[in-house]
Amino acid sequence: MDDAPIARPPATTAKPIWQRPVSRRTVLATGAAGATAAALAALWKGNDLSQILDRVRDYTHGYQGALSTPRARAAHALRRAGFGATSVELDRYAAMTSTTMTQSVLNYQQTSNAALEAQLPTLDLTSDKGPAAGAVQAWWLQRMVQTARPLEEKMTLFWHGLLTSGLDKAGPAQMYSQNQLFRKMALANFDELLKAVSKDPAMMVYLDTETNRKGKPNENYARELMELFTTGIGHYTEDDVRESARAFTGWTLTGGKQLRYTTDSAFNPKYFDSGQKTFMGKTGNFTGDDIVEMLVPLRATAERLSTRLFSFFAYANPEPEIVRHLADTFQQSHYNVGAVVREIFAMDAFYSPKAYRALIKSPAELAAQTLRATGSDARAYGAAVTASAAMGQMLFYPPNVAGWPAGTSWINSSTLLTRLNFVNGATQRMRSASPSATLDQLTSTLVDGNLSPTTRDGLQAFAAAHPTNAAGLLFMVLATPEFQLN
Amino acid sequence: MFSRRDFIKQGLIPVFAGSAVPSVFANGLAAAAADSPNAAPNDRILVLVQLAGGNDGLNTLIPFADGAYHDARPTLRQDQGVLPLNSQLGLHPNLKGLKASFDAGQLAIVQGVGYPSPNLSHFASMSIWETANVKSGIGDGWLGRYLNYLDKVGESPNHALEGVSAGSLVPPELRSSTPVTALQSLKTFRLQPVNEHGTQVDVENPLMKFYGAFKGAGPAPFGALLDATLTEALQASHALQATDASYVAKATYPANSPIASSLKLVAETIVSGLGVRVAHVTLGGFDNHAREKPVHDKLLLELDQALAAFMQDLQGHGLGDRVLVMTWSEFGRRVKENGSAGTDHGTAAPMFLLGAPVKGGLYGEQPSLSALDNGNLKFTTDFRSVYASVLQGYLNAPASDLLGGTYEMLPLLKA
Repeated sequence: MDDAPIARPPATTAKPIWQRPVSRRTVLATGAAGATAAALAALWKGNDLSQILDRVRDYTHGYQGALSTPRARAAHALRRAGFGATSVELDRYAAMTSTTMTQSVLNYQQTSNAALEAQLPTLDLTSDKGPAAGAVQAWWLQRMVQTARPLEEKMTLFWHGLLTSGLDKAGPAQMYSQNQLFRKMALANFDELLKAVSKDPAMMVYLDTETNRKGKPNENYARELMELFTTGIGHYTEDDVRESARAFTGWTLTGGKQLRYTTDSAFNPKYFDSGQKTFMGKTGNFTGDDIVEMLVPLRATAERLSTRLFSFFAYANPEPEIVRHLADTFQQSHYNVGAVVREIFAMDAFYSPKAYRALIKSPAELAAQTLRATGSDARAYGAAVTASAAMGQMLFYPPNVAGWPAGTSWINSSTLLTRLNFVNGATQRMRSASPSATLDQLTSTLVDGNLSPTTRDGLQAFAAAHPTNAAGLLFMVLATPEFQLN
Repeated sequence: MFSRRDFIKQGLIPVFAGSAVPSVFANGLAAAAADSPNAAPNDRILVLVQLAGGNDGLNTLIPFADGAYHDARPTLRQDQGVLPLNSQLGLHPNLKGLKASFDAGQLAIVQGVGYPSPNLSHFASMSIWETANVKSGIGDGWLGRYLNYLDKVGESPNHALEGVSAGSLVPPELRSSTPVTALQSLKTFRLQPVNEHGTQVDVENPLMKFYGAFKGAGPAPFGALLDATLTEALQASHALQATDASYVAKATYPANSPIASSLKLVAETIVSGLGVRVAHVTLGGFDNHAREKPVHDKLLLELDQALAAFMQDLQGHGLGDRVLVMTWSEFGRRVKENGSAGTDHGTAAPMFLLGAPVKGGLYGEQPSLSALDNGNLKFTTDFRSVYASVLQGYLNAPASDLLGGTYEMLPLLKA
């Protein structure tokens, strides 16, 4: 993977957009220009001067060189690559160079997760019906909170949101086993992952490949494979959907259990449609793997997956130049997802002002980061799973095959109140034995010490007025708008 | 505390929805407000029921007298207990409540509803229905635009409860610069105070300040979104807490039915006089590519029982005349069943309009089962005609401005 050729722009051109560090001065100037324009616009509308000055302060505060300190960079990287960091972790990562930190996050196979595995409850994987849905959900949330390999868990969440299956059709043991597949292949080659997912029991139930047989084609999986998992709409025809559905015949669930509970699949030639299929202009006796091998090399797939990964880790709507570079990386590395993720973390764009707090914490992220701040016991995970659902994200139960719409859709009046009330409940349940941190320590660890002056003043006032209420103060920090963002 | 109008004045509207109101549409609104003195809004309520996943229209409104139906559906056909509406068409056997409404003249069924060049992707087609933009599916929701219009003409009750959805997400058809409230329960819709040794510390004011101070910060418009959302949430929660909490359902809603719980929550919100104008509920699970019959039968039963309880409840509260229910789904299913005893994605399907405001009956034309397009029905009524008829004929809003075009009006509704 490390030896894979990486596309480089011609040497004669200017530095590419993603490798242009933005100086503190540039940010100041840009921020000030924006603020000036806003102030002028406000004056134009007849607002009074003090209001305008307040707004100038609010537009410019805090973001100049927000990521200029090693600790802030580490905190940003660990929010994105994982589920936030404790003070101790921040100290450890802040002492590394960016390159070393990225290596450490990416090469997580070298980090033992034995402590987590020892803590996890045992799931019933032997009985006919397997574990209860709630047990598997709590198990995963606990992994997010306690893992020593943050990126492994974060990529698992990424795949769950892209290559979706859900408990509305698949059973808990199937979802568990798919989740382990995502974890095992978190940074694998995309074609290999898709081939495995095509035969994964949860997916076979969720998108009906288990019923897809010779003479009885079922289009569900073939359509979503193209529309959602690879090229996106506009790169295939309805005929391609119908023909490729035939290629995915032959795989069946085995093991004699009820459909929702079986976690084994096998190829049965009797059910395979071995006739000629014409797919995207080529004709042959294609299998499902053949279809995957035709879809993954397409430029549309490379660009779509690159956009999705960058938007997941850095910010939405990446510049075309960035997408082009990541898609090149993907295509030149045998479709290696790890290579693309490595490039994203190496980009200055990843640490740019544009990336800072440019994502809204998803409910799972908010829940896991909150529990990392409050400490947690076995019961906390189940409560967090329930709260996450009320915030709009029930793990293993995406709203439909497109996954969660994410972004601004996480925030509406109901989900915002639920987020604040969840955080409140979590801090109330804190063990009184938890060491109480000072306000500076809390804000430094949880929000990079980077708050609006109003919020900083407000938190100090709360701390002064409620000196014995450590849980209340932690709530106030976790309830800030800054903490809602990633 | 800022009112929504303050936000509007400050030009912060677009961040609510993440996209600016298209200028062509903004002009349309201004024109509508200025030129349509007759378009006075009213206090009527529209409840949208989304059948998510693509409802099998042919097994909902069943062409039981057509041999082609029986040929195309060897395992899925309903051949017993269909509730006939005439000599050709009948309702699924589980739609007994809707049949009773039809007989009472309170159910209008529009047949073969769709749009040109149908898209067989769930998400592309949903966006088309949600935005009424058949070209790209991009833009504000069609009912979001209606709520926006209410704001502009100054007739809106002016708080975030005029548009509500049951659940944790705001559906795209309600999205615009006008905020909409997602409700999961009226009781829990409040900010919990902080506990301090058994006493309660109110944190609304400090948090409002924090969010207000953050609203212009950051590279993305999330600060403004968070601030506006908290403001709206607290306003709505105050309205909910101030309201008479004496709602008692005047019907028995089915237990263990999410759609019934959603409709009950909507009924509670309406009965409590919170100023709801548009409500949205979702019943999912219609994407039945395999083993469709038991699943679809159960879904229609749930839908029918939940709607019957909802209508009875509203009538019991004397609100039946003010509420119209309309169902929609992103598409119907393929005419011929597939080899998995299911159906793949299709095109046209019927829509139901239910309640005292409708003129009951069958509208439009049942699509032919033999003249197909790639195995799919050819639509006979454009969904935008239905939207236009509801906007103009029921909500008294300028349909052509809100839909960006003029569509045939169907006489679905009483004046």
